[in-house]
Amino acid sequence: MTTKEKYREPFKLRKELTRLPGYLVVTIWVTFTFFMIGWIILASFSTTKEIFTGKLLASGINLDNFVKAFTKNKALLNLGNSVIYTVPSCILIILVCAPAAYCLSRVRFRMNQIFEKLIIIGLAIPNIMIVMPLFSVVNVLNISGSRGTLIFLYTACSVPYTTFFLMTFFRGISTTYEEAAAIDGCGPIRCFWEIMFPLVQPAVVTVTIFNFIGKWNEYFMALIFANRSELRPIGVGLYQTVTSMMNSGDWAGMFASVVIVFVPTVIIYIFLSDKIVSGVTAGGVKG
Amino acid sequence: MKQTKTSIFVFMAPAMILFLLVFAYPVVRTTLMSLFNVQSVNSAVSTWSFAGLGNYTKLFSTRLFLISLGNIGKIWLFCGIATLGLGLILAIILTQGLRGQKFFRAAIYLPNVIAAVAVGYMWLLYVFNNRFGLMKSLFSGLGITSMANYQWLSAEHMFLSMCIAYVFSNTGYFMLMYIAGIEKISLDYYEAATIEGANVFQKFTHITLPLISGVLGTSLVLWTTKTMGFFALSQVFSNVSTITPMVYTYQTLFGSEISADSVNAGIAASSAVVMTIVVMVVSMISKHTVKDEGYEL
Repeated sequence: MTTKEKYREPFKLRKELTRLPGYLVVTIWVTFTFFMIGWIILASFSTTKEIFTGKLLASGINLDNFVKAFTKNKALLNLGNSVIYTVPSCILIILVCAPAAYCLSRVRFRMNQIFEKLIIIGLAIPNIMIVMPLFSVVNVLNISGSRGTLIFLYTACSVPYTTFFLMTFFRGISTTYEEAAAIDGCGPIRCFWEIMFPLVQPAVVTVTIFNFIGKWNEYFMALIFANRSELRPIGVGLYQTVTSMMNSGDWAGMFASVVIVFVPTVIIYIFLSDKIVSGVTAGGVKG
Repeated sequence: MKQTKTSIFVFMAPAMILFLLVFAYPVVRTTLMSLFNVQSVNSAVSTWSFAGLGNYTKLFSTRLFLISLGNIGKIWLFCGIATLGLGLILAIILTQGLRGQKFFRAAIYLPNVIAAVAVGYMWLLYVFNNRFGLMKSLFSGLGITSMANYQWLSAEHMFLSMCIAYVFSNTGYFMLMYIAGIEKISLDYYEAATIEGANVFQKFTHITLPLISGVLGTSLVLWTTKTMGFFALSQVFSNVSTITPMVYTYQTLFGSEISADSVNAGIAASSAVVMTIVVMVVSMISKHTVKDEGYEL
């Protein structure tokens, strides 16, 4: 049933024929996906009239929808906000979680078990359970208009997932590295950043890709904590844009707005799909 | 290696402080809130008045909440069967050594990296459109006029349409999980079974299925957590028939077009507690019933 692709097996017609139903199913699925995405991309370069008459791109590639989205509809501002929220929180998450994951998986101390349990419970707590108090704290501190709020929340909310993800990888490293470093007189903190952290770099890269995509696509927290027009990230911006375009019937504009939202993550995926696919199969917890 | 207390503190403190601020404190406060009459999220604690389980009884007699519970139940069960079932089928197909297997896996996972709002609009604006939609052209191309004229976005079909979009965008993730489980099974079992004359179906039920039961259990927990957070799609396919507990809670908290005057933080908190309990209970049950072998969570 399973075949580890170590070598390319010779083409045997009979064997391939028994797999025909399988080929059919996955081909239909993938064709549907690509057709849907492809059509929407083409529609975003067309006019509303062309969309309704079924003649996409009849007047050639039309950039108006994007020009309008970027100049009139704040798509650029939204994209910028998404970058501002996503990039710093991805870096902070690693700075906070990598040491904790290392400590929890390698060092025996009294609170170890309790902390580990807390992290696992944290994985299962729905966002809705934590937003209300956070919302009131943000209001009391009067920081609701600041982009730092969402960066902080994104960082903190990822603590359980990222710590948990990295712990598995620290467990797999031999202790001889630390012992050798200790003999050479390397302190634990320096030893961590200079020896242990580089060793788990592949895992750090994988978890950062997941965090990036997760934060980029995050909608609920952003809707609550960044719902002023100048603070909105791209996802919340899309909702507002489409809602208003529905009324004016600007279908081409709506498709362009949708494309602007998904193109960044899809491009990342095209380049990093190997890493992402193996990351999920290696024990990614949340999507 | 010996670690000093200070270094443990330096390693753990930032993560634990964030955890306390953003998980521990809010969970406690939300739970307390659910037992009090609280006007708005911003009301000071001094203005809360104790309500006991009043919020919960009110919650469970609110029609909209019950509808949302019914919806999430249906989503959990039917979309769950579809998503996990399709994920398993695709995983089995894509572990047979098909040509281009890697490409197919990656392509099927693709919708998972697209924001839920965008996926929602792709289906709402294009696929289900009754003038130029993909469903319409697909079915008229196949000559099935009754399906070509199907009103995907009418009020009574909206829920089904939303479910299809949801299943489509989540299947890839569970497929990859199952693939990981299946690929961990040693080939020796299958070889022995082949020698004994077992057919494909027997191999599946007697080898694959029992050996990936741990993965199946994990996927069920993840599915439950995921569906409880069902929000963006429900907002996109906005309709009373598609309301979920998340949307209900959000609207109870911040008001909505439907019921602007119904803001009540205490009830919203009790609804959040109910959702959390459901996730916790399902996680606990599946942890105790399914032995987690093979797949590391």
